[in-house]
Amino acid sequence: MSFFDLPIVTSGPAVSGACASGGCATGGCASGGCSTARPDLKSETSRRDFLKTATTLTLGAMSLTLLPGAMAGDDAVPPASKPSGFPSHAKKPMYGFLIDTTKCTGAGKCLTACRVENGVPEGQARTWVERYVHFKDGRVEVDLVPEIGYAASGEPQPAAEDVLRAYFVPKLCNQCVDAPCNQVCPVHASIKSPEGIELVDTDRCIGCGYCVQACPYGIRYMNHETNVADKCNWCYHRVMRNEQPACVEACPTGARVFGRIDDPDSEISKRLATLPTSVLKQHLGTLPLTRYVGLTDEVT
Amino acid sequence: MTSFNDTRHLWALGAFLAAVGLVGMVVRRELVPDDFGRQGPYRASALADVAARPSLFQADATCHACHASVEHERAGKPHEAVRCAHCHGHAVEHVAMARKAAEDSSIAVPPAAEWDGDFLTKIDLYVTKDRATCLSCHQAVVGMPADFKKIDVAVHLEEQGASEPLAKDTCFECHGGHDTAP
Ligand code: SF4
Ligand code: SF4
Repeated sequence: MSFFDLPIVTSGPAVSGACASGGCATGGCASGGCSTARPDLKSETSRRDFLKTATTLTLGAMSLTLLPGAMAGDDAVPPASKPSGFPSHAKKPMYGFLIDTTKCTGAGKCLTACRVENGVPEGQARTWVERYVHFKDGRVEVDLVPEIGYAASGEPQPAAEDVLRAYFVPKLCNQCVDAPCNQVCPVHASIKSPEGIELVDTDRCIGCGYCVQACPYGIRYMNHETNVADKCNWCYHRVMRNEQPACVEACPTGARVFGRIDDPDSEISKRLATLPTSVLKQHLGTLPLTRYVGLTDEVT
Repeated sequence: MTSFNDTRHLWALGAFLAAVGLVGMVVRRELVPDDFGRQGPYRASALADVAARPSLFQADATCHACHASVEHERAGKPHEAVRCAHCHGHAVEHVAMARKAAEDSSIAVPPAAEWDGDFLTKIDLYVTKDRATCLSCHQAVVGMPADFKKIDVAVHLEEQGASEPLAKDTCFECHGGHDTAP
């Protein structure tokens, strides 16, 4: 719905109600309420003409700035090469990401790979691995896999005999088809690439942090070295040269699978077609492209 | 219809709006990047900017391009899927240097026999026979899949009739690295 489709409401229902109960005999019900003395017809007509002309002029002036031709730089593009529709791009490959929680061993190799690949500052992360521990007494505890691994971190571990079930859940950008982070960016620095991958235009980002607030999955963060938004982008640069994302390349157990979902013969398509998968926070309607095997209700 | 005598006001209004429009166009031209909106509601060249980042995490194929014997050792073994980088370091500089040396013959590369741990460490690589490396994956913690090979060090040592403290490379006394048996 555009601005011009909006119904123009001059008086609320309460006012017209009062009007009816007041019993205006003349039927002349102006927005101010009932009025029996109609304004001078003559001046009313010329005022209307004036307004008509003024409106035309205003709209004309507005359209001057709105015209595509007025857009900076567009004149540099020969009309023939201009895209016709909007958004307009040739059919692009479609990618998907599958996380198999039953295969993740919590070694954290993917975490370092991502840090090396994307220059993620220490203390921040584009991807992380959560561990959900369901105890026999009904408690569920969640902790983060240390990047150096549990063995080197020396963290005290829950005793195996108290545990009903435990599993690791790697988290990364869901590449939501209807991405809230994209919608809030005031300067269009959040980009949904033609391949469906959500990117940050770091040159354009003003570091307002709206998108960090908007992502319901906590994926975005303000990179404290560059002071602009940063996020997992499925290693867009690698994918564009037909490589696997760094974390997928790094995973020795196949817990992370990446590939084209428009190709029925790809590994990911085959697994998605046969495995029962689900997405995180489905009720939010963000339509994630990252799908999971083995999620429980506790995982959000 | 009466005569219309407000022409002067209209001209004033028109001029004012034209000025606003003009200022708007200039401001917009300044603020909006040249290629904005060409593909979608964003700066089109940003896609290429992101895509231009180098791939730093090396796939095993990169390592095997030079270290072919290792590929052979690992083929079909349980550790085939373990990445070179996990045990030997991420080799970002090592690979960059190797690529430079491949292009420029004036860069001296020492013969493989002289590559000791020290030399490799200098360029972000290491020869690792450290049990901490093995345990970074295989130390048993709750949450690991049932069919994954994991050990509790204390229990394992007792089974083997050994005890702490042990040498750094103790795992390799019984287990292989590249060619470890299932
Ligand atoms: S997971 Fe967060 S950062 Fe990724 S597309 Fe969805 S809203 Fe955006
Ligand atoms: S932090 Fe950057 S990308 Fe995020 S909403 Fe603000 S300007 Fe957009």
